[in-house]
Parts: sequence; C-alpha cells; structure tokens
Amino acid sequence: MNLYSNTIMNTAKFMNRRRFLGQAAAAAGTAALCTQQANANPSSDSNAENSSWPVRFQPDATRPRWYPRDMPKAGEVVHEYKIEIDLIRHEILPMVETYAYAYNKMVPGPVFRVKEGDWIKVDFHNNTHDFHTIHWHGIEVPCEMDGVPLGTQYPVGYQQTFQYLFRAQPAGTHYYHCHNMTPLHVQAGMYGAFIVESDNDPVKAMFPYEREYTLALSEIDTNYVREQLNAMQQMGEVMDYMNGSPKLMEKMNGKMMGWFASREDFVQAVKNGYIPPYAQSMSGYVRPIQPNFFMINGKSYPMTDHLHIRSGENIRVRLIGAGMMPHFMHLHGHDFWHVCQDGAVLASPIRHNTIPVYPGCTTDIVIQGTNPGCWHFHDHSDISNMNNGVSPGGMMTMLMYDDAEQAGFHFKEIIAVNT
Amino acid sequence: MKNYQLPVLCMLSILATAAITPNARAQHTPIPAQPGIAPQIELDGVGIGTIELRTPRNTLTDGTKLSTGRINFSDSALLLGVSERLYRQGGIGSFVLGATTTDSSLNGTGTGLLLHQLYLNYSIPSLEATLGRTDTATRLIDFPTLRGDDLVEFTAPLDPFSSGGDIQEHRYSNQAAVTFNSKLRYFVNLHAQHLLNSVDAGSDQTGLNSYGISFRYMSPPALDDITRIPEWGVGYERQEIPASHGGANNVLYAGMVYNINPDPVDRVDLRLQDVYSTGNNLATFTSITDTYRAAANSIALSLRWLHSPFGTPGFQVALTGGYRSYQSVPRSDTFALALTGIKNLGQGFDLVAQYTFQYRAAAYAAPFGGSTDNSFQLGFLYNFTNTFNHHLGARRSLLNLQHQYIPD
Ligand SMILES: [Cu+2]
Repeated sequence: MNLYSNTIMNTAKFMNRRRFLGQAAAAAGTAALCTQQANANPSSDSNAENSSWPVRFQPDATRPRWYPRDMPKAGEVVHEYKIEIDLIRHEILPMVETYAYAYNKMVPGPVFRVKEGDWIKVDFHNNTHDFHTIHWHGIEVPCEMDGVPLGTQYPVGYQQTFQYLFRAQPAGTHYYHCHNMTPLHVQAGMYGAFIVESDNDPVKAMFPYEREYTLALSEIDTNYVREQLNAMQQMGEVMDYMNGSPKLMEKMNGKMMGWFASREDFVQAVKNGYIPPYAQSMSGYVRPIQPNFFMINGKSYPMTDHLHIRSGENIRVRLIGAGMMPHFMHLHGHDFWHVCQDGAVLASPIRHNTIPVYPGCTTDIVIQGTNPGCWHFHDHSDISNMNNGVSPGGMMTMLMYDDAEQAGFHFKEIIAVNT
Repeated sequence: MKNYQLPVLCMLSILATAAITPNARAQHTPIPAQPGIAPQIELDGVGIGTIELRTPRNTLTDGTKLSTGRINFSDSALLLGVSERLYRQGGIGSFVLGATTTDSSLNGTGTGLLLHQLYLNYSIPSLEATLGRTDTATRLIDFPTLRGDDLVEFTAPLDPFSSGGDIQEHRYSNQAAVTFNSKLRYFVNLHAQHLLNSVDAGSDQTGLNSYGISFRYMSPPALDDITRIPEWGVGYERQEIPASHGGANNVLYAGMVYNINPDPVDRVDLRLQDVYSTGNNLATFTSITDTYRAAANSIALSLRWLHSPFGTPGFQVALTGGYRSYQSVPRSDTFALALTGIKNLGQGFDLVAQYTFQYRAAAYAAPFGGSTDNSFQLGFLYNFTNTFNHHLGARRSLLNLQHQYIPD
C-alpha cells in the first residue's frame, strides 16, 4: 500500500484508522483520535491575498499568521495522532531488503494532511534502541517543538514518548524527518510528507485538479545503513542495559553521544581514555556515503508507483527532496508548471520540462494531460537511474494516460517490440 | 596442467586475438561465469612477535637442547576470504585461504608455514556447510592466552595423530561439516574430520579419522560484554585410532564463558572447559604422541579482566590455568599457568606480555625434556581486518539476530 500515490485523503484520521486500530483500542482512553471541536477555521489563510496569479509581493508574508508560541484555545481544531517508530524490514526491490527505522511501520512515514491553522498534537513513541525526534520541516512551530535533539529537546529514547503540539502553518507542501543522526536515520526511512491545505489555493483555482501525487525523493547507501544500524543497535542495547546504574552511566559518559559540557571536559575525557568518534569507527566502516539505491516513496524502478492522468486533466505533483542529493525530475513529452516552492506559491508559474528538487526543498508542479501515451518521469542526473550501479532503475516512474488506448497508443505492443 | 602454461598462453592469445581467451583463466571452471557482481573480499591478519626467555634449559629425548632465549613469531597469520551472494539459489558462497606461522618456523632457517585455512562455505539462514581445512570442529572455548596454541594440551581435544613436532596440528583439521542453527543462537554441528597425521608421515594417511557432534549456544556477539553467559557448549568426538596403535578414543568435552561482572567498561569473565577422553589402554608414554592418545582428563579455567574506557578496549589482564591427568599412566599429571597482559596502543595494535609456568610429573616430563618450564615473553601484536566491495552483512549481526536474517 502506498499512501503517497493515492488521491487526496483529506482526513486527519487515516493514519490511526489504517495503522493504529489495534493500538488505539489498547490505548482506550485516547480513542478520540481526532478531537474535532467546534471548527473555528480562520476566514482567511496565508494565501488569501494570493488567490489568483500573478501574486502580489508582500514583504511581510514570511511572518507566521498565528503567533507560534500560542496554545490551543477552546473551539480550535486539534488533530491528535500517535506515531511510533519501529525497526522493520523494508523492501526497495525484490531481493533488496534493508532494515529501516519506520514511522508507523511505513517507509516513507504516513502523510499528514490538515487545514492551515489547525492544531497538531502527536504522541511520538520510540520502540527502537536508538534516539529519535521528529523535525517538522518548513512548519512555523514553537522552538521547543522543532525536533532538534539536544538543541530544542532531549532525544526520545527507547520506550519514551514525546508530545509535539503546534499549529499547522504556513499552507503548502512540507515534510518531516528525524533530526537525530540525520544522515543515517533519514536514509533508514525516517521521512514523510506534511501537507497543509489552504482554502484559497491559487493552484487549484488556476488548474482545477482532482488527482494529486506526493513523491518523496531519496537515496540510500544500503551498506552504510546496514553497518551503522548494527553499530547503533549495539550501542543502544548497551545503554539500555546501563539504565538504572549511575556508576555505569558515568563510566560511559561521552561515549554515548559525543556531547560534552565544555572543551575542558572533552579534553579531560580524551586523557581518561575516551577515543573520539573521528579517531575510530564504531562499525568498522569508514568511507564516504555512496548511495546505491534511489527511491520514489521508498521504492526504486520498476517498483515505483505510476502517475495517472487523462487527456484534458490536470494533476498536481508534490516533489519532496527528502534525501541528501539534488534530483532533476524530467518528464518526457510534456512541459509542466512549477507552481510552489517550499510550500509557498510562486509569484507566477514557471514552465519546465526538467525541474531540480534540492535536499530539504519541496517543489509542486502541475502536469496537464495534453499528450496521450505512457511517459517516463525520472531524475535526469542519470546516476540516480540505476539500481546498485545497473541501469535501468532508481528514481524513475511513468506518467500513464488512462485513455491512452482510446487515443490510439497501444503501449503493450510497443513494450513487446522494444524488449 | 593448463595453469602452468598460463603466462605463455595468455601472451599468445592476446597477440593472436587481442582478447583474453578462456585459456587466460587461472583454471577451467565447469560452468564459466559471466562477469557479475564483484565478490566481497576480506583481508585479515594477525602478526605477533615476542622476545621470549625460557628457563631452565630443557633437553628433548632426542638430545636437542632447547634455547633459553628466542624471537617468537609463531601463530602469525594472513587470511584472504572471498564471498558472494548467490542470486540464483539464494544463500552466500565463500572461499577462504590462509596460512599461519608454526613453532617449527622458529627453528633453523624457519620455513614452517601451515596452510591452516582453505575451505569453501555455503550458508543459508538455516545452515552452513563447510568443506576444506579450518579450525578443528571440536574447538569450543577460546582462552585469553597470547597465542591460540598456548597451553593447548589443557584447552583443546588433542590430535592423536600428531607427532608433537607442531602443536598447531591440534588446532586445524581437514573437515566436512554441517552446522544447523536455531535463531542463529543455537548450533548443532555434525562433522567428519581428517586430524592431521604427522605420526605416519610418508604413508598415505589422509583418510577420515575422526567423527563427532557438538551443540553450542552463542549470544549475539555485539552483546558479549553484558550477557551473563555469552557462550556454552558440549560435544562428543570419536577418534579412529588403529587397533595397532591402541584402538579408538572417545572424547567428551564441555565448556562455557561466564561473565562474573557483565559490564561494557570493566568486564570480568570466567572461562571453563573440560575435555575427557576414554583413550586407549596405553599405560606408559614412549613418545609425545602417546600423551595425546592415552585416557586423560584436562580442565582449563581462566579469569579475565577487560577494561574498556568509554566502551573501547584499553587493556586486559588474564590468568589461565590448566590441569591434565591420565587415568592409566602413573606419575603423569601436569599443570600450567599463564599470566597474560595486553595493552592496546591503538586500533588493533597491542603491547603484550605473558608469563607461563608448566609442571610435569616424571612420566609426562620424559618425552617433553623437562619437568618444569618458565617462560617470559614481551612483544607486539597486531590484528587487522579490511573488507573490500563490502556488501554482505555479518551473518550474526545484532539486526539479523533480532529481526530475522537478511542475506545482504
Ligand atoms: Cu531517528
């Protein structure tokens, strides 16, 4: 099942319904998974002034509409979620499985889709022997909710729960990811889409659409992830063993996180036998990260999901740069409109056939059904069109016209000839 | 022997066709493989060099006087391993080739290299099959002495076909073995071995001469420091000694590792192993080999403190003791002690020291040339491992042990 390629699921409950019936029943008291109180939805939103193109320039548009440090008031909508993190096996392709840290046992994690201004309350629970957080990338959260371990919060340890509470703003395509040991944890699967919907969306006004797709682009070095996850599991289990032993905790201090109160403490620890991580490898694996699988929503071609369109239809595609490499998504046979960047509506749509999606960025495009057929949509940095160094594969999918046959395009025959 | 003609053929074929022909291969393979995924290649090694002082100066039965001081580099080894994931049938296939320096390499011009590992291994989640030469199938507990063969007569079931010239012969054998496992934690090993035969050197004595079964438990290696009992096992071995040499020998052995103080910083553990053999009816020793054949009981025990500041090994101090007695040979018992210290100087490189003492009662002392031995060694030890084309995870990694096995 892949929530990412489904049509709009405008519900705050689907995660709970689809994934959490068991746990929800067990946690009987929290059965109100979505506390729909009287809906005091704001009459306008951050796109209110921008409900049609061209968008007027507003120098203060980056100011949050709601003061981020407010708390929910009576009558405001609060969506409650439970997100758990587990170590699972994730299949990228047949015969290619990796261990993954997964939000609610899914890679990528479940899609959040809420109205701008609604409150989000997430009970984030950790079932792994490692530390995690959720960083709400692009959301104007209060600082304590930003999910930076030892920066804005303590990382969430084994069997600990942290509650995030913030208002969903600004409108647009955003995402979330773990911010603890990010190079490892994001490769290991800790990322997902966070979509904040606007009532006055100029994209929808200009390009009426029913179907939309969210594509999280990322890459993985399966060897790095395997070796590092093993090292982290070992360290995590040793730490869990030490829980409750202040003496042991003190002996191991510093080894754990590499954080010291001062430079002097660090130097003293080195004198006492602490070997800094840069002078050893915890996993016996020292080399730069070399991604070998490139994924759309956690799958590599040919296991990626297709995009579907009909002649005359508009579809919206939300591209998320969830990994650590830029990707240059190219659509065959079409130009398309770049309409939003990092959630924000562009001053004017820009026409492309290839669009860069940079790490940490989100890029929304609108594809118009103008040329019936079955078209490749892929990263044009061709190194990403490989699986384990072999082409074809990787970050590639197809734009499939549902009415291709009627238009006289018999793709099955062509595929048969070509292969 | 095509491989001997290889250079010439190779040159000719290149000149003639400007292409590498099958003749340029090292050896014909029955099913030639297309170029595929490069195998994972592992290069491992251990180098150990010590200056050793021995007293008193003992004399062997043949009159050889042992030296009192020497440079000892025995038990150094280099290993090359190659493995590949088998996409057709599943599982992993591997091949290992390695050699170790022996005690005999210390004598004279010193050419003693033993091919101690040369085997093929096929592994799938439920079992491993091994064919070739490798560690004897009866090896159970490793003791914290400097070299693996220190105190070997107390720590291992012995090879009754060894002349005694090379104690490494007790540690390696030719074997065909299958090891079944449950959850990669419980292992049953069935094997047939050729224990290396140096007694009948010159004759065609290469047949299977030993059979056995063993059971062992091993906890996840990553959690060795904090598990109370990381390892235990029992085994039975039947050594087929010809009737002319006293008849078959049955060996029972059992051992365990016990963490007295499970602790990632200051681990203190105890290792214990007993090897009991029914032996044959020998009542006197006429050679060292007889001491390997006669009914005996060996017990070995060690106490070890491993200090790992912040979880990284720093130094280790260990006391290992062994006692061996013979049921049918009077005044033949022996015991030994080894006090071993290792200080880590940096990853894989250690400063090492060891004092050993052995006492032998009269009947046992005769073939070994003396009733007491003192030896003191000081030196360096370096062990390393490096993996190229790394794409196979460790079979018994924590993740595989806890979340089902993923072959890659
Ligand atoms: Cu994490």
